[in-house]
Order: sequence, then C-alpha cells, then structure tokens
Amino acid sequence: MSEPDASRPFIEAANATHPSLLDPTHKVDALFGVINIPNVVWIDETGTIVRPAEPGWPPGDFYPDFLREYLDARDIERETKAAEVEATNPELAAKLRGGQDRDSYADAIRDWVAHGVDSRFALTPDEVIAGSQDRPQDKSAGAAHFELANHLWSTDARDAAFEHFREAHRLQPENWTYKRQAWSLVGNEAAGGGEMGRFNQGPLPGQESEWPFAGDFPTEAGATPAGDYYPKTLQV
Amino acid sequence: MLVTSLNIDATEFHAGTGWEIKPEGACKGEVCVPLPDGFDLASTAERLGMAVVHDETVGMWAVGPESLNGRALVSATAPELVLDDADGNEFRLSSLHGKKVVLVAWAPY
Repeated sequence: MSEPDASRPFIEAANATHPSLLDPTHKVDALFGVINIPNVVWIDETGTIVRPAEPGWPPGDFYPDFLREYLDARDIERETKAAEVEATNPELAAKLRGGQDRDSYADAIRDWVAHGVDSRFALTPDEVIAGSQDRPQDKSAGAAHFELANHLWSTDARDAAFEHFREAHRLQPENWTYKRQAWSLVGNEAAGGGEMGRFNQGPLPGQESEWPFAGDFPTEAGATPAGDYYPKTLQV
Repeated sequence: MLVTSLNIDATEFHAGTGWEIKPEGACKGEVCVPLPDGFDLASTAERLGMAVVHDETVGMWAVGPESLNGRALVSATAPELVLDDADGNEFRLSSLHGKKVVLVAWAPY
C-alpha cells in the first residue's frame, strides 16, 4: 500500500531523522533490483554502490502499537512451532533457520561506516554488478506489466490490472514486492480495509474462487524456506 | 516508465529511465551504448534491452528497465532516485552525495 497514511505510523514509531520516501511505482525494483522487503543497498560518499540490494535489517523493532500486539502473538506461535520442528525434523529446521542473519546485519553496516572501502563487506564495482539481481529481458517485461497494472488499478480498470499483475508475477516470480502489492490490494478490499486489512494477502475462507491470482502470501511464503525468502549474501 | 505515445523526446526518456542521450549514445553511469541512428524510443529501448509493453484498453505503453548485461545493475554508480516523502516533498538521492547512504526498502503492508 503506497498511500502516505499507510506508512506514517511506522515513520512516527521509528521517530525517523532520515528521509522516509514513498515509492508507489516500485522505482527501487527497476533501478536497484529490489525484489523483497526489507532490502538494503549501501552507497558510499562518491555515489558508488558498494553492496547491491540484499535482505537486511536495521537494528531494533519499530512498530506502531496496533501491529506490535499482533506481531508478539505471531512470534510466540512461531517459536512454539520452530521448537516442534527442531525436535521432530532437524533437517527441515536447519532449512528454516537459514538465510540472511537479522541480528548481525547492522554490525556489518557499522563495520563499513568505520572502515569504508577497507571494510570486508564493501564490494568492488564488478562484484556489485555481478551480485545484483538477474535480469534477462523477460524480467524487464515483468516490470513493465507491473507498472501498467498499478496504473490500471488506480483508475479502477480492475480486470485489465489483474491481467498485467498476473503477467508481472509470471515473468518475475522471485519478486515478492510485485506479488504482495497485488495480493494486499485485493486482500485489503476483501477484508474490508481497516488497520489490518492490507495484511490479508490471500483469499478469505470460502472466497477462494474469487481470488484473481495464481498464488497468495500464506501459501507461497509457507512453502518457501527462510534461506530462499531472505537469501544469505553476507557473512558477519 | 508509462507513456501515451512512443514519440517521446530524449529529455522525457532520461527523466523516465535514467538513461541520458549524449553524442556518444545512451549513457548511465560510465556505460554508454551507441545509437547509430540517433534517438527514438523504440530503437533505443531495443538497444538497451528494455521491454515495451502496450495496453490497448488505455492506449498506454510501459517501458521496462534495461536488461543490457543480464543484471539489474549495469554500473555500480548509483542511479538517481527521485521520490516524495509522506508530505509530498520531493527528495533526490543525489542530494546525499558526500555521505554514506544505507537505502532501506520496506513496506507497511
């Protein structure tokens, strides 16, 4: 959701002193190869990218109150489930634990701030380019379909928007932001809006036949190990 | 970039894609791709590996990002990024030149 009011509670909860910008047309996907959130790009004083888009987290959790309660409950549920999987299926547990390490990501940023180009986390231009997302021409087409889809949705041309969203998803299946944008727009409507409506990113029970997309968040995220959802690109 | 006509000029192309048309060709960062026949949207998009997708119902075209080298980045030089904050004030990434920048993409789904 790209309206200012959707972001404002988060910006206020973080008491952000840095610029907080809205990207309704997903410019960062096209320009930097962002495909999921959170994704982080490091840029040095000369305007040179030293780490391409990768999963990363700032230190601390800054959530508005309405979300904090929900997330706390979800964390307890996840921890309980993780403990069960650990005991019964260690192989699956290892897979679920994989991926970029949340807790140490900020330490890598601090190392770069302290050591600049000598930081072991700062990459060369060639490494940055090679480490950016894969983009054959069909992925460019996926981005074009996504832009049309967003525009058509904003003009209430729903069926045409769905067609372009579906093409964007088919051509860039690895791009979670393209999928979650579409899923949250439709899911929010089905849930009747409100503070939590946009977190509904799949069909409501009994409404599966009305869901206009091939996938949905609970199904796809549930089938994706952490190491695939947030691939490990950085060893702290 | 969304356009209602394929007949756009180099200035609009630069603003929409970040590729500047210079005497040596279409340029971004230190990368320049020669344009032997000069600039027009269709041939330039083709040279840069940009998909052009048409929607007949609204009479619009969308021009996708370049896919020149098979990677999302053709250069490590950060592209210009121009976005508004929540109060509608325009911000340019280039205004942070001289500082280290950590660009975090997040969403308030």
